[in-house]
Amino acid sequence: MASLTIGRYVPYNSFIHKMDPRAKLFALIVLMVAIFLPYPTYVMSFTIQGIIFLFGVFLLWRSHVSFFRVLKSLAALWIMVIFILIIYVLVPRTTNYPAFDINGFVIYWDSILEAARILLRLVLMIVLSMVLTSSTKPLDLTAALEWYLYPLKLIGFPSHIVAMIISLALRFIPTILDDVERIMKAQSSRGVDFENGHLGTKIKAIVSLIIPLFVSSFIRSDELANAMECRGYDPNAKRTRYRKLHFRAVDFVETFVVLAIFAGCLTLSIMQLDAYNAIWGITTL
Amino acid sequence: MKNILEVKNLSYTYQGENAEALHDLSFSVPAGSYVAIVGHNGSGKSTLAKIIAGLCSYKKGKVTLFGEELNKNNLPALRKRMGLVFQNPDNQFVGSSVRDDIAFGLENRQVPSEKMDGIILEYATKVSMEKYLDHAPENLSGGQKQRVAIAGVLAMKPELIIYDEATSMLDPVGKKDILDITFGLREENPDLSVISITHDIEEALRADYVIVLNKGKLVLEGKPSEVFTHADTLKEIHLDAPFLMSLIDSLRKEGMDVPSDVDSLEKLEEYLCQ
Ligand SMILES: Nc1ncnc2c1ncn2[C@@H]1O[C@H](COP(=O)(O)OP(=O)(O)OP(=O)(O)O)[C@@H](O)[C@H]1O
Ligand SMILES: [Mg+2]
Repeated sequence: MASLTIGRYVPYNSFIHKMDPRAKLFALIVLMVAIFLPYPTYVMSFTIQGIIFLFGVFLLWRSHVSFFRVLKSLAALWIMVIFILIIYVLVPRTTNYPAFDINGFVIYWDSILEAARILLRLVLMIVLSMVLTSSTKPLDLTAALEWYLYPLKLIGFPSHIVAMIISLALRFIPTILDDVERIMKAQSSRGVDFENGHLGTKIKAIVSLIIPLFVSSFIRSDELANAMECRGYDPNAKRTRYRKLHFRAVDFVETFVVLAIFAGCLTLSIMQLDAYNAIWGITTL
Repeated sequence: MKNILEVKNLSYTYQGENAEALHDLSFSVPAGSYVAIVGHNGSGKSTLAKIIAGLCSYKKGKVTLFGEELNKNNLPALRKRMGLVFQNPDNQFVGSSVRDDIAFGLENRQVPSEKMDGIILEYATKVSMEKYLDHAPENLSGGQKQRVAIAGVLAMKPELIIYDEATSMLDPVGKKDILDITFGLREENPDLSVISITHDIEEALRADYVIVLNKGKLVLEGKPSEVFTHADTLKEIHLDAPFLMSLIDSLRKEGMDVPSDVDSLEKLEEYLCQ
């Protein structure tokens, strides 16, 4: 199951790794919002997306994620690329900038640029989330999530239990993937074909995988619950924490930088300010 | 000597089942002893362990742990004084690394975070896992995971450790490691009591006391050298007596009066040469 490499934690000791997961999660969310804000012109969108993209690539480089892996995860987007291109090109637009005219079927620049804008957003989402997930241990991410959900405790939301559930789920992903592999082998040796056949046989094959998988997972969860109970776990009792989160000076700086970027983007978006026109007097698309 | 565990007339039936999983069981475990519980599959050994750990609540009989009768109110307190190690190494590994797994029990006990690293290192070293502290469970062997489970239990400083077939999914080397660690612990701390549910007759031979269960009933109990000479009874309930013990049993049937303190081949040889 080596194919599950996208977004996996890469152990390294960069300054990004050392940052507080809460600050990183906050930065991710804020930058994502900045990407999705509406900007007055395409060129403005591309400029802002480009700046954030360069920022993201810089962070990826600093957190020592191999570019091959980034490309591999981006390559997984190709279906989306085709899909978006087709949709945007086929949907007719009413602007005066025809790009091509194929036997009377006109494709407008608008369609192409809009498709490009959407695609860039997707790429940015992947790049930015990769910075977070490759530099942050799942457990720390869970802890950050729990911290953000903490206020919900006031209205009775069990954020600590949710965090425990998430971290147990993360812990058991490799174990259950192992189970999948084992069950597939066992069923294959009994004649189930997971690769060939029409839809009906495929569905049957999947069922023959899913049912034993559920049974084994339930047995596992039952035993796990027993083990946790014996080790004194009480979901409602107070617990101390082994891993404590530390918000340091770098995290303040990082949060400040990200907020500054966000404030800039927000201003441009709300005022629908076309910087190119305002500064250089150039009108762009 | 004080008894750490007393079971009196304990019977237990699972909800929705007709047959009793345990029937009128009585025995006691003196403090500081190593008790092996053996029996065929489905003889109720795990059920017994679950009752002692308070995972199943019993209705008939009486279970006294550390001098107190087990009930809902004192269960959390009594549980703090014992630790369980289960059969499947994967299903009791809670943390995402060795460190985090040992810390899990400490967190539950509200040990201050500053003290945890020291405790984790101390107990990881006891089970020779100090080099693997940051390893994830999927990168450890079954035996290593069981050693971590033992470290997690030891870090709670229990007076009683219960193994429910803790070695049955391990290879011979892993099995031997776990047994060596356990016997080493007892040498270090003679007050530590161990109840080991096992299919491994050689392990049972090293115990102070053996209890044989069959279909929820206690069939035989006593020192290993006594219990395992009942070769016929053992065969009836599908258990093999160890080679030495079947040999002694056969010799006795031939009319020889082998004394009951003969518990090794050397001693038997000595006796036969007299
Ligand atoms: N959760 C359950 N619900 C109903 N019946 C159960 C449950 N667990 C066990 N039993 C039944 O209780 C009896 C004793 O089971 P138990 O698991 O205690 O045996 P065991 O001695 O531990 O066996 P093994 O050597 O296979 O682990 C068996 O007949 C079993 O079918
Ligand atoms: Mg069992």
